[in-house]
Amino acid sequence: MKKSLFLITMMLVLPTLMIGCATTGELQKVQAEQKMIDAKADQALKDAQAAKAAADAANVKAAETSGRAESAIKAAEEREKAAAEKERIADEKAKKADDAFHKSMKK
Amino acid sequence: MCRISDLSLFYNWLRLTALCIFIFSLSGCAATKSVQETAKSFPSHHEKEIERNKFPVARGEDVIGRLAVIRLEKGDTLPDIARHFSLGINAISAANPGVDVWVPEAGERIMLPLSFILPDTPRKGIVVNLATLRLFQYKEDGTSLLVTTYPVGVGTNERPTPTGRMHVARKAVRPTWRVPASIAEDHRKKGDNLPAVVPPGPENPLGEYALYLSKSGYLIHGTNKPASIGLTATNGCLRLYPENVKTLFDDTPVKTPVLIVNQPYLIGQRNGVLYLEAHAPTEESDALELEKLYKKLRTIEKKARRTLDWKKVKEAQAEARGIPVPIFELSRGSEKEAAKPIEVEHPETLYGKPEIPALKLEAWYVLAADVRDKIEAQRIAAIINHQGPPIPARVFPKSDSYRVIAGPFNDRSEAKKAAKRLKIDLEIDGIVIEPVKVN
Repeated sequence: MKKSLFLITMMLVLPTLMIGCATTGELQKVQAEQKMIDAKADQALKDAQAAKAAADAANVKAAETSGRAESAIKAAEEREKAAAEKERIADEKAKKADDAFHKSMKK
Repeated sequence: MCRISDLSLFYNWLRLTALCIFIFSLSGCAATKSVQETAKSFPSHHEKEIERNKFPVARGEDVIGRLAVIRLEKGDTLPDIARHFSLGINAISAANPGVDVWVPEAGERIMLPLSFILPDTPRKGIVVNLATLRLFQYKEDGTSLLVTTYPVGVGTNERPTPTGRMHVARKAVRPTWRVPASIAEDHRKKGDNLPAVVPPGPENPLGEYALYLSKSGYLIHGTNKPASIGLTATNGCLRLYPENVKTLFDDTPVKTPVLIVNQPYLIGQRNGVLYLEAHAPTEESDALELEKLYKKLRTIEKKARRTLDWKKVKEAQAEARGIPVPIFELSRGSEKEAAKPIEVEHPETLYGKPEIPALKLEAWYVLAADVRDKIEAQRIAAIINHQGPPIPARVFPKSDSYRVIAGPFNDRSEAKKAAKRLKIDLEIDGIVIEPVKVN
């Protein structure tokens, strides 16, 4: 009887132990997988942050460039205006000189 | 045997060399020919070959002379080129729109408008066209007709030259100028008191010769301001370059008829081609003169039974360059060669160009301007140089400006007199500069 009871107990404990062992192994496997995913996530995050930073930097650069282009256009316009003004003044001076010459040719 | 074969090899080489030389010489001939052809397509004429004043007038033709082009050199001004080729400042400016009169670019090619359409008048005596600022003198030479033409200066809008028929009443060499009250008053207002009578000499605006017209108070005379030829700057008289008035004086007897007209639009034919010469008209005469022109052109169109290129007519009229523009072939296949301008070599010296004496430390000077712009300084100097009597002036470059210095003058009074003239005539406040003291 004792022998039978021991056998039954053993039959119950062994599978339970075996199940327990299997669960720990799986847990370790899952944990390892989680770590790997975490690492991947970290990498993805890092990549995303880097991409965002690059995009931000590109945006800043684009904005800067656009700003510079606008300034350049404005400066060119200013220069054009200044040149036109200079030309107008030169033309006026030339006309004034010609008029004075014309007047000086009278008796 | 060996020597014989060497000899034949030598002869073969000789033949080959001769062949090569022949081929090279052929290509050399071709190259020379090409240069000659290039030169032929751009003929350059010596300036003395260019007729400026005297032209035969073919029967039934109205266009005389030929257009020319010249390449400017450093220091040229349009008034100097104009005088050398017996043109007025108006004509050379109109023919070359956009070219700076006083500081044109060296190397620039400019048109010499030495072709003219005769005014629509009887071809007799002296005819003056106020619109073109040119005088024409007709002379019979046996069976042919000769015309001599000169540029003139005419009256201002306020004191215009009268139009109509008159004649040469008398002539005078070295005339005395009796200053009219109106001119004396104009000068007095500017702070310049003129004497009642100006004797012959450099200060006399009549120059060396005068032809008194039958219309009292009006003369054809020379000038002490040659740069004024081609301008509306007189009090109604007609001014000529000193060298032209001498010839006209010698060629014109008393009682020669004089007809003064105002024709801004001239049409005429040569070699079967109809030309239009348009000048800038005065505001009041424009509409009437245009109407006359269009009427004439419509009659020609009707007679020829072909349509005129009215676009071309309007372009020539709007541009008003004062040069004959071909607008219509009266007979098909007419020769248009005469319309092409000829290239003229630049003369070594330009006749009448103001001379600037060398600088002298012991002389007096007048600082006429101190400006930042080089062209402006050059323009001021050129205008001062072309005053009458001339005032020598030159540009001194400084580190950040350009100074216009007039002189040299022999003494303080000469310098002060020049400064006064600059003030009265050109509204320039000059500063008299004392001589440099050399120890």
